[in-house]
Order: sequence, then structure tokens, then C-alpha cells
Amino acid sequence: MRPFTLSRDTFHILVALAGCDRHGYSILQEIDERTRGEVRLSPSTLYSAIKRLLAEGLIEELDERPDPEHDDERRRYYRLTRDGKRAAIEEARKLEKLLADARATGLAPKRA
Amino acid sequence: MTSARKRETGILRLYRTCLGLYPAEFREEYGRELYMVFVDRWREVQSPLGMARVWLESLHGILHEAPKEHLHMILQDFRYALRILRKDATITVAALAILALGIGATTLVFSLANGLLLRPLPYADPARLVAVEEYSPKDPNESRQISFPNAVDFAARATLIQDLGVFSGGSTVLRSDGEAETVIACVASDRVFRALGVAPILGRTFTREDTAPGGPKTVILSEGLWARRYGRDPQILGKGLPMGSATRTVIGVMPAGFHFPDRAELWVPIQNDPAKSARTDYFLSAIARLKPGVTEYRATSELGALLDQIHRENPAANNNWLVRATPLRIWEAEGYRKQVIALLVAVGLLLAIACANVSNLLLVKASARSREMAVRSAMGASRRRLLRQLTLESVVLGLVGGALGSGLAYLGVPALLSLIPIELPRWMSFAPDWRVLLFAIGVSFVTSLAFGLAPAVGSSGVDLTTALKEGGRTGSGGQRQRFLRNAMVVGEVALSMILLAGAGLAVRSFYAMRSQTLGYSPEHVLSLQLAYPPARYPDGPKGRMMVQRLTEEVSALPGVNSAAFTTGVPLHDGWSRIYTVEGRPRDLKDMPFVNHVVIAPGYFRTLGIRMIEGRDFTESDFDQPHILVVTQAFARENWPNESAVGKRLRFGPPVRNEPWHTIVGVVADNRHEQLKQGGRPVVYLPYNADITPASMLISATGDPAKMASSIRTRIAAFDHDIAITHVFTLPQLIERASWQDRFLAVLLMAFAALALTLAAVGLYASLSYTVSLETREIGIRMALGASASSVQSLLLRQGVLLAVAGLGIGIVGALGLTRLLRSQLFEISPMDPITYVVTPLILMAVAAVAAFAPARRATRVDPVIALRWE
Repeated sequence: MRPFTLSRDTFHILVALAGCDRHGYSILQEIDERTRGEVRLSPSTLYSAIKRLLAEGLIEELDERPDPEHDDERRRYYRLTRDGKRAAIEEARKLEKLLADARATGLAPKRA
Repeated sequence: MTSARKRETGILRLYRTCLGLYPAEFREEYGRELYMVFVDRWREVQSPLGMARVWLESLHGILHEAPKEHLHMILQDFRYALRILRKDATITVAALAILALGIGATTLVFSLANGLLLRPLPYADPARLVAVEEYSPKDPNESRQISFPNAVDFAARATLIQDLGVFSGGSTVLRSDGEAETVIACVASDRVFRALGVAPILGRTFTREDTAPGGPKTVILSEGLWARRYGRDPQILGKGLPMGSATRTVIGVMPAGFHFPDRAELWVPIQNDPAKSARTDYFLSAIARLKPGVTEYRATSELGALLDQIHRENPAANNNWLVRATPLRIWEAEGYRKQVIALLVAVGLLLAIACANVSNLLLVKASARSREMAVRSAMGASRRRLLRQLTLESVVLGLVGGALGSGLAYLGVPALLSLIPIELPRWMSFAPDWRVLLFAIGVSFVTSLAFGLAPAVGSSGVDLTTALKEGGRTGSGGQRQRFLRNAMVVGEVALSMILLAGAGLAVRSFYAMRSQTLGYSPEHVLSLQLAYPPARYPDGPKGRMMVQRLTEEVSALPGVNSAAFTTGVPLHDGWSRIYTVEGRPRDLKDMPFVNHVVIAPGYFRTLGIRMIEGRDFTESDFDQPHILVVTQAFARENWPNESAVGKRLRFGPPVRNEPWHTIVGVVADNRHEQLKQGGRPVVYLPYNADITPASMLISATGDPAKMASSIRTRIAAFDHDIAITHVFTLPQLIERASWQDRFLAVLLMAFAALALTLAAVGLYASLSYTVSLETREIGIRMALGASASSVQSLLLRQGVLLAVAGLGIGIVGALGLTRLLRSQLFEISPMDPITYVVTPLILMAVAAVAAFAPARRATRVDPVIALRWE
């Protein structure tokens, strides 16, 4: 598979899906909450990213609904694939390395 | 419903509408999801500020992402198209070759049309430049000129045009600083330069003083001449240069690229006295600039009113002639327009054939792909997506073919120009420019749509179940596709027929023109022009001495039969005047024109023109010049039932009372002025004390071209200040006079040959495909006892039927379209029976050959294998 560069938005989506399978709105809510509203994706950005992640095989659409209790029949749910997980971990590592470099050069505060 | 609720419904509807910006595929896949997420978001906020924020974010998202989705999808289709085209390499290469030829030929002809008809002339604000010409209502296409006194009056009185200037082309001999050299020159009035809006790079252009009768002898040089002959001498202004019959002072140098008219390299002021020039002598050309906002029509009607006024003031000069202002662009291209249009039409037909051919290829391919289309359709691709996919494939083919074709056209222009034996005017430029580029791109696009449409519509609308059931192997697409394929073949044959007929007519006309009886024998004749120092050989005894001595010296050269001087070699525009036959006075407006040629004794012998009656000129006629030799046609026209010898006629308008000329001889008719019919009759006058002819004709025993150098040496030995120019054999002159007809014939032939090949290939491919589809049917027939020959003739018949249908349509089309060629044809009717018998035969023969191979293949079908195949 050719290397897939994750944009910031895409990475947020992967992170949102890391914990549990979600539908579109739920992904947005999760990102919203986690970043305390700092990152807000528009529906358009979300679904363009989802389309690409699906095409790349980083996420997959679920056939059955994960939570029948609170399920909305019409919504589609997405799950992180193994490739997706690997890509997210890889991206996290890269960010960590970048952060470490930033710390070493004094651009970011040392860890407490 | 509350107003909040109403607002919400409105907003949601608006959002849904905005989603329309996405490609349909994306919308179908995610549109509902997008909408639901938006609804969730919208409902989760309460404050107007929050609502506004959600709305703006969402809208921004759509505007940002939708174009990307479109681009993404197109790129995807594009990649897919490339993959498909690579996969069917044979079809792709064939289609590209056909398209490259079709678009290449079209772009090539367009380059010609662009250079001749479209590209603006290289002068300031060229759209406002007009040529002003007077013409006889009897033959409005004849004159392109104006009389000097009338031009002066137009210039003084017209209010809608400005800077009306007159000019006349010619040549002069430069004698200083090196070898004597003839250069193309122009006699011009001061206003010519102002009308053209061009300023000199050095010095000035002419003023009123320069162009006054008896004014100073000045000259303006072109930049090219200044550089070539005078090494860009910055001190050139004020220098006296001996040229022609005078020494002229250089007053200016024009910028590089300025060569008005045609190829002029230097300009001298016109110094004739308009008062001494007849109002009915049309020997100048005129240009002028329309005032801003004035059309040529308004200018023409004003000039017409002025000419009426002039005629009223000078009743003796009223010959009923008219005047018109023609855009300079059109005036300059006049001699080429009809041929260019004929070529454009021809190449358009060729392109249509190429389209039909490629379309047919794609139809075959489409049948083979119907299974693929069905599968993609079953997997959810919409018809629109499939259609777009197929169109994109065509556009890729068209653009690549167009790029290749443009390359061919780029290479083809110099090749085409090499077919032209004359020096073209400098304003003609055939270099590719934005118009050609735009045209090539446009044609490629239109072509793509034209050849791609039928196959695309045909195969995208494929019926799912049939296609899947039939399987890829024999997915024939059925009757409709077959009909389409046959229609394409019929169309190709029809268009080929039109092109063949056009080419046939052009070729027949060219040969008719070239094999006609000229009235003289050009084979061994050389012509040349002498530029002698006029001061040394003024008209009169000294000029006569030169003519006699040179005639003797050249005639004495080994290999020379005879030599003679003349003012006009054959196939050159002559000098024509009106005339009156004694005893039959005519009104000025009805007086006919006749061409003058002044000749020395020996002219008729040298050209092999037969004396019919009376006598040739002799040397003693020099002293009694008021005699004439006329052609048979002229004699017959004026004295149908009696001998012309002894009759008298007079030149010029009656008021001028010129002397009577007596006819002493009649010679056979000959094509003196032009190869084509029409043109003015010719009369010959003996050279005399007023005119020293400067062209020489030499009849040789062998190849006349080989005599040129010994003749040069002999003339130089006589006087090395005599410059020799325009050295051509008569066959070369004929070549130069008929190049346009050859050009048209060669191009039309090439297009017709291409068309024929394409049509044959189309027919062959279509029948081959039919055979491959009907292998099973043929197998059954043969298993049931049909003989190989009956199967073969069945298929042959099918091919011939298609060809005959095409022929029928084509002949009707040809009869309509070849009328475009009428004015170009020489003694051949646009309905020439030979052309209409021979070309269909050629076409049928080619069609039979093209049908033969597939028919033959069908007979080799082995019934057992054919049946198992299914």
C-alpha cells in the first residue's frame, strides 16, 4: 500500500474511532469534546475524509449496529481497521518525535 | 408552524440545495449522512450566534470540499480512461493515427486560412484600412485600381476617410556600393505612410514637397535593404544613391518588417502631375484609413457620391465607372479567398470521415465492452457516470490526437509552402499563433464529442440482463449498434465521394489548363528582364541601337534560334487601354479595353506564334510606329466578315484625339495575359522612339535554362552596367502562373486519397467485425450446405450495398458542393461527366477490395469449430 499521509483532521477522526465504533455525528461530537471545541470539522470535511479513509482501507463501514439500544437505523457506523490502527499509531509516534525535537530545542516546555 | 420552525425548515432546505454542488455519486453515497449530521449540529445550538456559526462552517465545508470531490472523480475517471486506452492499444493507436491525420490536415488548412484571411495585417489599427478602387459596372472584378486625378479629388473631398494615398509597385536598379541589383520598389504618395500609421526608424517619410511634380528626388529604404546593402550606415540620411534613371537622396529608413505593398524594399515619391493624367487611366492603387466608427459601406457610398460629382464636373470623363472601399485585408487576399474556402470545406469533410471512422472503431470496442459496462452499472455506477467515463475516454483520445495533429500541421506548413513557386507577399505569415492553437484545441474537443457521442450513448445505456447474459464474447449490442456502424460506413463513403469528385474536378481542370493550346511554343524559350542605365540608352536612337546590338549578339550565340525584345513576356499583367475602331465611335462608358504589348521584330518567330494574315513588323517600322498586329480573336470580334488588315483604330478616350493605328497583320490567338479564360485581348505595336522594350525572349535549341549564363556573359560584355533580372524559362512562367491551381489540385488529391483510405478501412473493419460476430450463423449456413462462394458473395453484397448507398448520397452531395469550385475550374463544368463516371468507379473498386478480405475470411469458417465456439 502506498504511504498515506494523515492530515490533522483525518488523524482526529482516527483517534475518535480508536475507542469505539461511531457514526458521523458521533465522531464530530467526540472530537469537539476532546479538544474542548478547539477543533471543529464541518460535515463536508468529515465525509470527504471518511470517503478517503474507506478507500484506503483505514476504516470500514459496519454491517450491524453496535449499540442496538441507542441505535438510529439510518445511520452508518465506522470502525478502525488494523491498517487504520497501524497508521494512527505511526502518526502518533511521528508527532511524539516531533514534540520531543521541539522540546529539545526549547520550542516546547519540558515535561513536568 | 412557528416562525422558528419555519426558519429551520428553510435553512435545512437551503443546506440540502447546497449539497447539489457535490458530484452525484458522492451525493448519493453520503448526501443523506451529511444532511443528518448538519441537522444534528443545527439542533444542538440554541443561540443565533451558534446557529450562524454552524451555518457558516457547514457552507464553508461544502464550498471547500465539493470542488475537490469533482476533481478527484475526474482524475479517477481520467486514470481509468488511460488504463482502458492502454489496454486496447491497437484500437487506441489506430484511432490516434486517424485523428492525428484528420485534425492535422484541418489545422494545416486553417493555418493557411489564418495567414491569408484572418491574421490582422502588420499595420497600425489594420481593421480601419481600406483599399479604394474604381471599377466598371460591366466587370466589377476586373479593376483594382484608381485614376490619379480622381484619387486626388477623393482625398480632398471625402469626409469619412482620411489619408487616402496612392501607390504603384515596380522595381528599380541600385547601382552604387557594389553590384547592380534590382530591388522591388514602390512609387508612393506621402499619405500612404500616414494611412498605414508607420513611422520611420531613421529620418522621415515623404512630405507634400517630395510628391510635387518636379520635386526633389528622394528615396526611403527598408530596414532590410539598409542593413544588407549599406551595412546599417547611420550616416545614410542625405546620401545620394544612383538608382533607375536618377540619383536619389535618402530621407528615411522604415522599420524592419515593413514592406508595403507585398515585398517592397524602397519607396520613391510619386511626382506625376494629376492634371496631366486622364481620369480614365487607372494605373494606381489607393489605400485610406476609415475615420473611427465609419464602416466601409458608408465610405463607399460617400465615395460614390463624390465620383458622381466628379463625373458631372467632367462629363468627358464620365464612363459610368463606380468606386468602392474594400477592407485592405479582403482586398489583399482577394486572389486566394475562394480556394481557401474550398480547401476548408474539403478538409472539414475529411475530418468528418475521420470522426466517423474513429466512431466506428469505438462502436466495435463498445460492443466488446458492454459486459464491462453492465458490471459497472450493476455495481452502482450511474448512467451519467458511465457516460462521463466514455466521454472522457474520447476527449483524451481527441486531445492526444489533436496534439499529434497539431505537430503534423506545424511540420506540414513549410512543406505546403514549398509547393509555391512564387515569392509570397511579406504580410502573409503562416507561423502558428493563438488563433491556430485555439482552433486546434477547439477542433480536438468538438471532434472528440462528435466521434465519442454515438458509442458512448450506445454503450452506457446497455441493458443489464441482456449484456450479462450474452457475455463479453458476443456482446454485439444488437441491431441498433449494427445500424449505427453501417450508417457510419455509408457516411464515410458518401463524404469520400464528395472529396473525390472535388479532387477529380480540380485535377481535370489543372490538366486541361496545362495541356491547352497556348498559341506559342514555350518549351525552349527563356525570358529575362534587362535594367539598363537609362541615361546611357534613352528612348530613341540609342535605345534602338542597344536593342538591335543585343538581339544580334544573343542570336549569334551557339544554341540560340532567335531572340527578340518586348515590353511584356507572356503571362504577365499587361498595360491596357480603351480603344475606338475607326468609323464606329462609342460612348466613353462603352469603350472596351485592349492590352498593349510593344515588341521588336522577331517576337512572333521566337515564340512560335503563327502569322495568319498580313505581315510581321520589320526594323523599318521603328520610324512609322502607328501600325498594329492583332490577334485572330480581336480581328474576328471587330471585323467578323472581313479582313482586319488595313483597318484602323485609336487608343484612349475620344477627347484626347490620339493618332490612328493601322493594322498590318493578324497572328494566331495566344494566352498572353493569363492561362485561364477571360482576360483582355492583346494588340502588338512596334517598338519605336517613345518606348524601348526591356524584356528579352530567347528561343534555344536545347534546354533554355542552360543558356542563361552564356547570355549573361554576352550582355555583360556589351555593357556590364546592364543588370539582368527575372530570368525564367517559359515553362517556369507557366508553372508560376498556375501554381494556385496545382496547389488546389494537389491538396484536394491528398485529402481525397486520405478519405478513400479511411473509408476503405472503415468498410473493411465493419465487415470484418460482422464476420466475427456472425461466425456462428455462417457456420450453421455452411453446415446446412451453403457453399463457400455463396457465403462470400453474401458478404460482398453487403459491402457493396453499403458502398452503393454511400455513393448515391455522395454524388448528390458532390453535385451540390463542387459548385464551390466553379470559379476555379478551367474549361471543366462542375458536373463534368468524366469525373462523375471515373470517381464512383474508383470508389467502388476500392470498396470491393476492402470488402473482399473479410468475405474471404468468412468462407474459411469451419462449421464444426464455429458451432463449438458458442
